[in-house]
Amino acid sequence: MSEAAPHLRLERLSRHYAGAPAPAVDAISLDLPRGALLALLGPSGCGKTTTLRMIAGLERPDGGRILVGGQDVTALPPHRRQMGVVFQSYALFPHMTAAGNTAFGLEMRGLGRAERARRARAALEMVGLGALAGRRPRALSGGQQQRVALARALAIEPELLLLDEPLSALDAKLREGVRDEIRALQQRLGTTTVFVTHDQTEALAMADLVAVMNAGRVEQLAAPEEVFERPATRFVATFVGRAARLQGVLEPGGVLRCGGLALRSATDLAPGPAEAYLRPHRVRLLAPAEAPPPGFDNLLDATLARRVYTGEVIALETETAAGPVMAELHAGADEAWRGLAPGAPLRLAFRPADLAVFPAP
Amino acid sequence: MIGWLLAAPALAVLALAFVWPMAGLFRISLNRTTETGAMETALTTESYAKLLGDDFIRELVWNTLLLAGSSAAIAVALALPVALMVRAASPRWRGPLALMAIAPLLVSGTARLIGWMAILGDNGLINAVLMGLGLRDTPYPLINNWTGVRIGLVESLMPYAVLVLIAGLGRLDPRLEEAAATLGAGRVRTFLRVTLPLAAPALLAAWLLALVLGISAFITPRLMGGGRVFVLATEIYDLALEYVDWPAASALAMLLLGGLVLLMLLRGALARLGGRRA
Repeated sequence: MSEAAPHLRLERLSRHYAGAPAPAVDAISLDLPRGALLALLGPSGCGKTTTLRMIAGLERPDGGRILVGGQDVTALPPHRRQMGVVFQSYALFPHMTAAGNTAFGLEMRGLGRAERARRARAALEMVGLGALAGRRPRALSGGQQQRVALARALAIEPELLLLDEPLSALDAKLREGVRDEIRALQQRLGTTTVFVTHDQTEALAMADLVAVMNAGRVEQLAAPEEVFERPATRFVATFVGRAARLQGVLEPGGVLRCGGLALRSATDLAPGPAEAYLRPHRVRLLAPAEAPPPGFDNLLDATLARRVYTGEVIALETETAAGPVMAELHAGADEAWRGLAPGAPLRLAFRPADLAVFPAP
Repeated sequence: MIGWLLAAPALAVLALAFVWPMAGLFRISLNRTTETGAMETALTTESYAKLLGDDFIRELVWNTLLLAGSSAAIAVALALPVALMVRAASPRWRGPLALMAIAPLLVSGTARLIGWMAILGDNGLINAVLMGLGLRDTPYPLINNWTGVRIGLVESLMPYAVLVLIAGLGRLDPRLEEAAATLGAGRVRTFLRVTLPLAAPALLAAWLLALVLGISAFITPRLMGGGRVFVLATEIYDLALEYVDWPAASALAMLLLGGLVLLMLLRGALARLGGRRA
């Protein structure tokens, strides 16, 4: 198989629940290369979990195909698909030990007792739980249960690893560590993985590819930075990260006429009513006499409306003639900046390419 | 405090209609039956000693346990697929299906037994078909014997078993079966390795409830047994009304009650054990 051939391919995959007004999953198509980690990111009810369950074979699609390694698996029942699934609730068998849970898939594959025990132990050691192999799930902490679920899914050496919100049941403190461990393990084993989450930080930090989903469709499928910096749709611009919305009229040459101001953008959209999204980290604060850096062609006079201290950054909400604009200060910024009080006048600058422009809805 | 107050009417009814008669029954069981058959006020355990030493009573205990135990087991085995079906149904159908499964409880037990007589009797539906097809020359005895009682008992115990199993299986996470499927287990192995072991506490609870109800059943052995099937409940009736030996009837009733209370305590203990394990 060539490097470019996708390991997982979804072709117009659809699911419409009886009685529901709209399809839960609406003709999704995507390709995932071997060894890559795809995050399905979206609000609850966007169809991300239904998509994962269809890939696992737990839910029957109403249309479309699922191909794994070039093979059409759409009609295969789950027990013949070779998918390692980690459920949101972990779904560990309460009547079996950690080792018994991990060996279950191997037993179903007809492996001998000794081989099963050896591979189950190896899988548990891989997630750092070799010492707790004899414990029942009830005697394990949430984080440990999560690792057993991961070991159980990986022990069968699956074609695909499918993770359904695997971190949502963990403490916030644990989450980051486990997130990085899962990613490191996935990269070491080279297991092609699909990961469902509603947490954008998780998706951006772990994934090779992010599919932002809304109302059963993929709004954007791209690398994390691409999704964050160059949102393809209005939904992506608002769902992933924070952004100020500027409403106006787009004129030829990419000029957005907005509250009496002419803002330059890099869009090639046709003229007409439009709205633009501007992320706070793209907005440069200028000192009173400071000239904007090269390329920062848009200048705005603003008044500080609100200042929110969040620890690492200080979020600034400002009022401009174009509307409310958000900016931010690093918590390590100069005293003069950090001491700003509401009502203070500000000068803001940003580049034309920093405006993500879409036709008005 | 307010809880006690609200429970007071029910407790009063319970005291008046259950505790008081039971105390009276216990008192009668300590009386003596004279040679002439008359009851004489006394404080003696003669009736208990007589019953416990009686070979016929011991045989009755064995017969009763065997009948109730086997009927309960068959009822639970038949109820399990029904309960699994209700559990697998969509939420919209779960209510109506569960109602259908327990619908027999809405019909009087006596009416249902008369229905069974029409089906199982020598001139009943089954024998009419068997003989009409020439498969048998004489009717197959399905009534007025242990078979008839067992059929009637299984049918009357099933709704209770279904109810207990639906409640018990409801706590079983369907994700566990999905996990087994993704790990390569087909339907049969998923059932044997995951569903059945996890349903075991519910199955035991259902069996014990059906057992207790089966042991205390009176109308079914009386009507379906046609006077040829003897169990503890029918024996109490006979002692009281045929032999008019009230102390003996009362003593046997007290012994049966004691046994049933023990079984219920066992059921509670097992439920707590299961709750701690699951």
